[in-house]
Amino acid sequence: MDTLMSLADGFHTALTFENLLLALLGTFLGTMMGALPGLGPSNGVAILIPLAFTLGLGATPSLILLTSVYYGAMYGGRISSILLNIPGDEPAMMTCLDGYPMAKKGLAGEALSLSGIASFVGAFIATWGLILLAPQLVKFALLFGPAEYFALFALAFATLGGVSSTNQAKSAFAAMLGLGLSVIGVDTQTGVPRLTFGEVHLYDGLDFLVAIVGLFALSEVFIFLEHRHGSATGAGHKVSVGRITPPWKMVKETTPTMLRSSLLGFVAGVLPGAGASLGSFISYSMEKKLVDRKNTFGTGDPRGVAAPEAGNNAAAGGALVPMLALGVPGSGTTAVLLAVLLSLNITPGPLLFQNNPDVVWGLIAALFIANFMLLAMNIPMVGIFTRVLMIPPRILMPIVAMVSFVGIYGISGSSFDLLVMIGFGVMGWLLRKLDVPLVPIILGTLLGNTMENNLRRAVTISNGDYWTLVGSPLAIGLWTVAIVGFILPLFLSRFVKARMHERGDDEGAISD
Amino acid sequence: MAFKLMRAAIAVAALTVATGASAQECIAPANPGGGWDFTCRQVGKTMQDLGLIDSTMQVVNLAGGGGGVAFAEVVNKRNDDDNLIVAASSATATRLAQGAYPGNSMDQVRWIGSIGADYGVIAVAADSDIQTLPELLDKIKADPNSVSVAGGSAVGGWDHLKVLIAADAYGIDDVRKVKYIAFDGGGEAVTQLLAGSVQAFTGDLSEAKGFVDSGDIRVIAVLAPERLDGEFSEFPTAKEQGVDAIGANWRGFYAPGGMSDEAYQAWVDKVGQLYASDEWKQVMAANGLAPLNLQGAEFESFVQNSVQQIQDISRQIGIIK
Amino acid sequence: MSDRIFGAVGLCLALFYGWATLQIQESFLSDAVGPKTFPLVIAVILGLASLVILLRPDPDPVWPSLARLAEILAAVVVMILYAEFLPVVGFLIATAFASAYLTWRLGTGPLQSVVVGVATSIGIYVIFKLVLGLSLASGPFGF
Repeated sequence: MDTLMSLADGFHTALTFENLLLALLGTFLGTMMGALPGLGPSNGVAILIPLAFTLGLGATPSLILLTSVYYGAMYGGRISSILLNIPGDEPAMMTCLDGYPMAKKGLAGEALSLSGIASFVGAFIATWGLILLAPQLVKFALLFGPAEYFALFALAFATLGGVSSTNQAKSAFAAMLGLGLSVIGVDTQTGVPRLTFGEVHLYDGLDFLVAIVGLFALSEVFIFLEHRHGSATGAGHKVSVGRITPPWKMVKETTPTMLRSSLLGFVAGVLPGAGASLGSFISYSMEKKLVDRKNTFGTGDPRGVAAPEAGNNAAAGGALVPMLALGVPGSGTTAVLLAVLLSLNITPGPLLFQNNPDVVWGLIAALFIANFMLLAMNIPMVGIFTRVLMIPPRILMPIVAMVSFVGIYGISGSSFDLLVMIGFGVMGWLLRKLDVPLVPIILGTLLGNTMENNLRRAVTISNGDYWTLVGSPLAIGLWTVAIVGFILPLFLSRFVKARMHERGDDEGAISD
Repeated sequence: MAFKLMRAAIAVAALTVATGASAQECIAPANPGGGWDFTCRQVGKTMQDLGLIDSTMQVVNLAGGGGGVAFAEVVNKRNDDDNLIVAASSATATRLAQGAYPGNSMDQVRWIGSIGADYGVIAVAADSDIQTLPELLDKIKADPNSVSVAGGSAVGGWDHLKVLIAADAYGIDDVRKVKYIAFDGGGEAVTQLLAGSVQAFTGDLSEAKGFVDSGDIRVIAVLAPERLDGEFSEFPTAKEQGVDAIGANWRGFYAPGGMSDEAYQAWVDKVGQLYASDEWKQVMAANGLAPLNLQGAEFESFVQNSVQQIQDISRQIGIIK
Repeated sequence: MSDRIFGAVGLCLALFYGWATLQIQESFLSDAVGPKTFPLVIAVILGLASLVILLRPDPDPVWPSLARLAEILAAVVVMILYAEFLPVVGFLIATAFASAYLTWRLGTGPLQSVVVGVATSIGIYVIFKLVLGLSLASGPFGF
C-alpha cells in the first residue's frame, strides 16, 4: 500500500505541464537518436545533458527528460533494424534477425507496430519490477561475484551456436573475432597495452559503436554498390509495407513470448554488466530454443521480433535497479545517468529511496508516462517510418553512410575512428559474402572485456585456483545450463532432436 | 569531435548557431558523462552564472588514450590557443608520471589551477572484524594472499597506488605482494565488497559515501592530512593511526604551453574567483569534493610533486623502469 | 574454394594473433591469470574454427565481377579520403562531395547526384549540429 501511495506522490510530481512537455520532447528525440545508426541511448542521453543544464532544470525534470530519451532510444533502435537491416543501436541488433526478413516479405508495418507493442510490454513490466522488487533484486545481484559473471557470459556465448548460423564453425569464428577485438587496448587489470602496435588511438580499445556501424551500415552500402544493376534502381517504389497495426492474431500469438522475454530481459538488465544488449540477446536465443519448432526464427517470425524488443526494453528498466539502489551502472547509458544524478546532488545507493523519495518516485512515474507516450507516438508513426522504404536505395544508402560517419565523428571527434569504421565496413562485406554471422562479432566486442576481467578477478581472488570458477551453486547451475542446454545438443542434435525441445523447456524454468 | 553546449531549447535551436571563434573552449579528454566531462561542464556553467565568461563554455569531448589523445592534440596543434583549457585530474598526473602519454611530459602545458580534491579512503564491509588500518595492513603483512583489495582503477592506477602508498608507509617491504583486484569503477568495487568477494576497498570518499551512510561499509582510514569537515569528521585519518599516507584525487585544468602570459593569468584569476564563490562551494559539497585551493605557480609545483611521487612509487613497484 | 581460402586466412590470423599476444610486454605486477591467457585461448579457438572451415567448406558465394570489385574499392578510397579531409575542409563540403559521389555510383544522374549530395549534407548538418548540438568538423569557413 505504501508503495502505491508513494507512486501516487510520484505521479503528482511528474504530472505537471512542464514535465509532460519534457517527457514528450525526450521521447521524440530519443526515438530519433535511437533510429540513427551511430547514436545510441548512451550518447543520446549524454548529448542532452547540456540541454538539461542550460534550461536550468531541477533534479526531477532533468531525470524525466533524460530517462525519456533513454526509453525513447530503446524504442527507436528497432526502426532502422527492421527497415534497413542496420541496428540503430547495439541492443537492437537482434531485432534485425527477424525484423528485416519480415519487412522484405512486405510486413514492415506489422513488424514495426508489433515491436512497438513488445517494447511497451517489456518496459511496462520492467517498471513494475523496479517498483516492487528493487530491494530483493539488489540481494540477487549481490549473489553474482566475478566467477558467476564469467559463467553467465560463457552461457551467453554457448547459446550463440543455435542463434545465428547453420555453420557452427563460422559462428565460433565470428565470436572469437569479436572477443579478439575486445582485447585491443590498455589492459584494465594490469595497465599494459595489448595489441595496440604503439597506436595511441587504440589505447582505449575499439568502440563497439564503431564496430557495429561499420559492420552493419557500411557493409550494406557496399552490398548495394555491388548489386547496383540488379534490384537497386526502380524497384524501390513498389515496396509493400503492410498495414500499420498488427493483426490481432499476431499479437495474441506473440504474447507469451513477450511476457517471457520481458522477465528474462529484466533479470539480465538487473545484473550490472552488459545491460540491454545481453537482455535482448538472451531473450532471443532462449525464445528460439523454446518455441522455434519449425525453424522459422531468422526468416521473419513475428516472435523473433517481439522477443528481443521486449527483452531489451525490459533490460533497460532493469538496469535502473542497480543504478538507483547500488550506484552501480549496469550499462553505458546508466553510467551517464549516474553521472547526472551525482551532479544534481543526488547520491544513488542504498539510501536513495529514503533520502530522495520524491526523485525516485517522480522518476518511476515518468517512466510510466514516457512509456505510454512512446506507445502512442510509435504506433501511428509506423506509417511515416515505412516511407523510408519508398526512398530509392541509390539515394537512401549514401544518406545512411553519411549519417553513420557523422554519428561516430560527432561523438569521438576522431578521424581515426572513421578509418577503423571503414575497415569494419569492408570486413563486414567480406564476412557477409562468406556467410559468417555478424551478431557474434558484436556480442564478442561488447562482452569480451567484462568476461575476461571477471575471469581474472575470480582467479586472482582465489590465488590462481581455477576451480573457483565452479565454486558456487549459482556458477555450477549456469555452467550446467550452458553445457547441457546448448553445447551438448550441437554435437548430439542429429540423434536426439526430439529430446532437445523437452530439455529446452526445463532450462527456461531454471534460468528465470 | 564531440558536441558543444547548446544554450537554447531544441525548438529554437536553428536560431542559435554556435557562438563565434572567440568563445571559450574546454576540452574533456573523455566521452560525455565521465569525470572530466563534468569538470568542464560544471565549471563552464558556474563560470557563466558568475559572469566570469561572457558566452557559454563550449565543451568539446576528445576521447582516447586515457587523455593522451587530447594532450597530444593540445601540444601539437593548439599550442598557442588563448581560449582553451583542458580538464585534468590525478589520473592525468598518474599517466604522465608513468609515461603513458608517449612523448609528452607535464612541462609541455601550463597548469592553471585546482577546483577541489576527493580524498582517498580505505574501507571494509560493516561486518568485517578489521577495525583499523594497521589491523588490515598487519593482516596483509602476515599473509598477502588472504586479503583482496578492490578498487575502481587498473593495476598501477590511482586507486591501486593509494593502497600501495599506505602499505609502503606502514613498512611492508614488497608492496607488489598486496593483492589488488581492478574493477570498472568504484561502485562496482564497493558492490563486490558487499557481496563478500573481496575484503577491502580503496577508492574515493565520494564513491564510498552512500554506503557509509547506509551502514553497509566502514571507512577505516581517510588518506587526508587532517580530519575532514562536517559529517566526514568521524573518519580517522591514516596519519593519526601512524600510517603517514596521503592520497588526494584532485581535479583541475591545464592550458596550452604557448598560451600568452596575459591569457594564462586571466584563466588563473577566473579559476581563483570561481573557487572562492559560494556557488562553487555548493557544487563541491554536492559532489563530495574537499578543499584544494591552488592556482598558477603553486598548482604547477603541486602537480610536479605528485607526478614525482607517483613516479617514485611506480618505479619501486616496477610498473615503470 | 572461397571457404578454403577464408579458412587459411583465418588460420594465419589466429597465428598472427597468437604471436602478437606473446609480444605483450608484461609489467612486473601481474594478476594470477595475466594479460596473455585470455587472448591465447581466443587464438586457439579461432585457429580451430578456421581449420574446420578450411576442411569442411560451404558452397561458394557469388563473387562480383572485377568491375564491381573496383567499384567497391573506389568507394572505400572515397570514404578514406572523406575521413582524412573532413577536419581539413569542414563538414559541409566534405560530406556533399562524398555523398554526391556515392549517389552517382549507385546509379543516379550526375546533376541529380550533386543536388542530392548537397541536400544530404545540409540536412545532416541541420539535424546533427543545429538540433542535436553535436560539434561537427568546422573547416576554414566555419562549417
